[in-house]
Amino acid sequence: MSEVRLAVNGQEHVLDVPVGTSLAHVLREEIGLTGTKIACNEGHCGACTVQVDGVPRLSCITLAHTVEGEVTTIEGLRDHPLVEAFVRADAVQCGFCTPGQVVSAAALVAANPRPTSEEIRHAMAGNICRCGTYPKIEEAILSWQG
Amino acid sequence: MARLIRTEKEVEGRFEEVWIVVEEDPLEQWPAGPLAVVGRPAPRQDAPLRVRGEARYTADVKLPGMLHAAVLRSPHAHARAKRIDLAPALALPGVRAAIGPGEAHGLDEEAGFSGAPVAAVAAETFGQARAAVKAVEVEWEELEVVLDPDDAVKRELLTEEPRRRERGDVERAFAEADVVVEATYRTQTVLHNSLETHQAVCEWQGDTLHVYISTQYIWGVRQTIAKTLGLPEDKVRVVCEFMGGGFGSKNSPDEYTFVAAELAKRTGRPVRCALTRHEEHTAAGNRNSTIQRLRAGARSDGTIVALDGEFTNSVGWSGWSSPTEGPMWMLYDCDNVRTVTYGAKLNTPFMKAFRAPGFAEGTFGLETLIDELAAKLDIDPLELRRRNYASSNNGVPFSSKNLEECYRRAEPHWERRHEVRSRSDAVWKRGVGMASQIWYGGGGPPSYAWIRLGSDGRATVVTAMQDIGTGTRTAMAQIAAEELGLPLEHVEVVLGDSARGPYASISAGSSTTPSMGPAVRAAAADAKRQVIEIAAQRHHLEERVLDIRDGKVVSADGNLSAPVEEVVGLLDEAQILGKGARGPNPTGMSVLTFGVHVVEVAVDVETGEVRVERVAAIHDVGRIVNPLGASSQVEGGVIQGIGHTLSEDRLLDPETGRVLTTSLDAYRMPTIADVPEIVCEFVDVPDEHLTNLGSKGLGEPPIVPIAAAIANAIRDATGAEVRELPISREEMLRALEAVKRRERRGDPAAV
Amino acid sequence: MEILRPSDASEIPSNTVLLAGGTEVVPLLREGLLRADRLVDVRGIVPRGIRGATIGAGTTLAELEVEPAIPEALREACRLAASPQLRNMSSLGGNLLQATRCWYWRLGFDCRLHGGDRCHARDGEHREHAILANDFCASAHPSDVAAALVALGARLRTNRRELAVEELYRLPDEGDRRTTRLEDGELILELELPPVETSTYLKAMDRRRWSFPQVGVAAARVGGETRIALAGVAPIPWRIDGPEALDSATPLPRTEWKVPVAQALVRRALAALA
Repeated sequence: MSEVRLAVNGQEHVLDVPVGTSLAHVLREEIGLTGTKIACNEGHCGACTVQVDGVPRLSCITLAHTVEGEVTTIEGLRDHPLVEAFVRADAVQCGFCTPGQVVSAAALVAANPRPTSEEIRHAMAGNICRCGTYPKIEEAILSWQG
Repeated sequence: MARLIRTEKEVEGRFEEVWIVVEEDPLEQWPAGPLAVVGRPAPRQDAPLRVRGEARYTADVKLPGMLHAAVLRSPHAHARAKRIDLAPALALPGVRAAIGPGEAHGLDEEAGFSGAPVAAVAAETFGQARAAVKAVEVEWEELEVVLDPDDAVKRELLTEEPRRRERGDVERAFAEADVVVEATYRTQTVLHNSLETHQAVCEWQGDTLHVYISTQYIWGVRQTIAKTLGLPEDKVRVVCEFMGGGFGSKNSPDEYTFVAAELAKRTGRPVRCALTRHEEHTAAGNRNSTIQRLRAGARSDGTIVALDGEFTNSVGWSGWSSPTEGPMWMLYDCDNVRTVTYGAKLNTPFMKAFRAPGFAEGTFGLETLIDELAAKLDIDPLELRRRNYASSNNGVPFSSKNLEECYRRAEPHWERRHEVRSRSDAVWKRGVGMASQIWYGGGGPPSYAWIRLGSDGRATVVTAMQDIGTGTRTAMAQIAAEELGLPLEHVEVVLGDSARGPYASISAGSSTTPSMGPAVRAAAADAKRQVIEIAAQRHHLEERVLDIRDGKVVSADGNLSAPVEEVVGLLDEAQILGKGARGPNPTGMSVLTFGVHVVEVAVDVETGEVRVERVAAIHDVGRIVNPLGASSQVEGGVIQGIGHTLSEDRLLDPETGRVLTTSLDAYRMPTIADVPEIVCEFVDVPDEHLTNLGSKGLGEPPIVPIAAAIANAIRDATGAEVRELPISREEMLRALEAVKRRERRGDPAAV
Repeated sequence: MEILRPSDASEIPSNTVLLAGGTEVVPLLREGLLRADRLVDVRGIVPRGIRGATIGAGTTLAELEVEPAIPEALREACRLAASPQLRNMSSLGGNLLQATRCWYWRLGFDCRLHGGDRCHARDGEHREHAILANDFCASAHPSDVAAALVALGARLRTNRRELAVEELYRLPDEGDRRTTRLEDGELILELELPPVETSTYLKAMDRRRWSFPQVGVAAARVGGETRIALAGVAPIPWRIDGPEALDSATPLPRTEWKVPVAQALVRRALAALA
């Protein structure tokens, strides 16, 4: 066990977990933030996306002890206008990938408030949706009111 | 009155004779078209929970003291575990219990594929369980491995008797045909890949087993577990409020559920057993590969006179031989049809139903063959399909069929082909293709729903169904709101728990809306009747002059307009209860869904890259309850189908039978960057013979025609015949090379 | 397991696993393909950022893909690599050291790269494998970025020496199964680009994004010389003199398709330089 200090959604956490534990595991199991999903656990699908200092990262292959910076999970973005845009556009089917989609999209619009379709497709290609909600996700991001 | 009937029940294209109790369905259908709530777009009621990450999936269930299980899986494609020593695993830190073959349903000595479950361990953490599984000592006796489907068929290694069907005289019809086309089509193995892997958490409370599971069929899981463990059914509670995708792979509890239940029993603690992504790719089922050797004969006027098909389904170690021949029997009016379908039993991971099993594969073969026929006949592919329009399903009338209307609406999309082709250049060739779809999707009884209407005038639909991500909660709320005359936001749906609602049907076979919707409407009608009875007594009016509209009880003369909460408010904390059941399907009729896709592609003829640029999807599935959710379903089916057609391929090592594409960088599903423009249209005419709702299912239809439509568009663009899925660059370049060879020989462009 | 954070490259102990972005190392550790009691977080000692023609090896692919001063071939290779999140995480140096995607290697088959005595891909499922230098091991090198840097004639500086990126790589052989010449404890610190006149990167994928290269072709004109390097066609980034080099490719039965794809992309890349 080894101490890890994390700033998550504006809150400080000091935890004792083994070195090698992923950020996703710490968020879900230690802190109880289960909005971050683990779907492949090897960095291929994007369901576990969180922001570190505003930049989307894959929390399932990020070691908790290496995190430097402020972590923002879906729980920290629940009042983001994109949530309403996703709901309105029906940009959710089974919903398992959706928190990760919102986290990626929130970083995109923070850097580029009016992205084109091409920019959306480039920035969102790391978030796999098996239900194929993509057209509605694109629509949600195009139509968000921020 | 309840009626006991013996009937044929269809799920995922499979039929069985069953006894069922059906209740009368006396409600008249609503008129066609958008109503107050039904037929109008509605965002999902549970969308905020899902989008905000608040929805609790099975993956998020964390019970006090919960242990984690890991499963030992066979490294061999076919072997027997002669001796298993669990002791080294039990000695490791954190390990609380270990079980071997025969100690939980699904753990077997004989492993029929690489990845077959053999033993399992429960430990404090998943990491500890996984380490312990590696420590289990197994002495394997390797057995003969069969991986080749043709070889299996030759040796009669089959999962079931071959299905042989014939109508008319096929050989004579071929002899008399003016034109015959013949080709072999192959489809690959594809993986469901729900983002939430197969998993369950089991906990015993006294003699009751609580099962939290990612499932498409709460009641099927309950019954299977009860039967397998010898428990009374009410001693099994099954919970699934939110689930992260199924696509047909989560219709039953499998070894992970029984492992969790047994380990929970042995340890007295809750146990989670969740598959990893690699296990999901090896031991959670797949759409099996197929080989389709097809032949079609036609007269020169385009009349199809003979269809012949030999289908081999590579079922794997278990599963069933899906109806790959189905479209050949049902899509066209042809007097002479002959098919034989083999289910090859192989030492490969098992088949599970996957979004229109059999029909998605069979439609690729048939609808591509039809275009090859059209080319040889020099008849427009749309025209050829119209000339062979089926007016019945093998003599059984359709309950409704509007495929002709789909074709009519396809015309403007089909007309674009001249303009699309004209945008070709030396490298990028463009073209347009189409394919039709036929599939089941009528649902059926039994299914039940209750409605509680409180004194606040708000209604709650209660039924132990599941919403697998299709928007069922919202569709059911819309149906109840429509019938009750309440605003949509005053209706909630509670589902996902066998302990708090009545029996509900499986969410598979495009059956949820057509099975559950009529039951919900009947329950709402029952509640509405009671509200009107109360209003009639309170206001001294006749019931027949009263109705509920927009949350108010209104009289025909307009003198009464009382909010529902005022009418039922005197009940205080008591409630009105409505009960509804799904009525029978129409007797002597075939309930089917129809549609057509028109696809535009661009092909880079130098590098074999195929881009799908536009898809027009036109479907006839009866009444559309929620056009917004329906369009999402169609888009999802189209996109999943594009993955099946272009990039997804589960590969096995030919020597060991091991799955090689265990991760999502190797098994490639579409990303948002692969999505074409998708135009989605519905005929939206209620099936007048089907229930009080007139709706059919939509989950599966949009995946059925996509592969053939893409292949046909490629042929239109390049003249190349692609007959194998996926249409990788390798397959595309092979087909283009064949065109060049043909041109060098000076053969005509057609086959 | 513990994590070390040395303040100087000379303090890196031997037999450790170096960690920067972690996108490759973390999954390999989890799968048991890498073993270590100690991880060395090198982010404190590897420079990050772009100074003129010098790029810190800790610079992420995401930072490079939007940097106008970076030659087109490298920018495009970064832009088309992996997924957005992976590009945000992965360092340039780590990207050069990533292992093959060969499924036999990733699944731990006893293959030549793992020290075994056969290449399972050659006799088995190899449709995504190499068409050049594939006799001993048919794995394909997955780095778009490496191909771009080789074509650009980039050099790298480690904590011990300077060498051309091209020289970082070696073909595995009977005596030594490694695909790089990096020594134990050696760390890539910086990359240096020569003045580049023009360059391009073309990539064949089976998805529009988030795919390793089926074939990647980087071409650059550097000091009047045209340089071409390929990804996804050999066990290491592969430099060729011109399209005719592909005439002597040695594809396996199911990688023959890669030859015309590579030929077409090389032709197009050269046309783009002109």
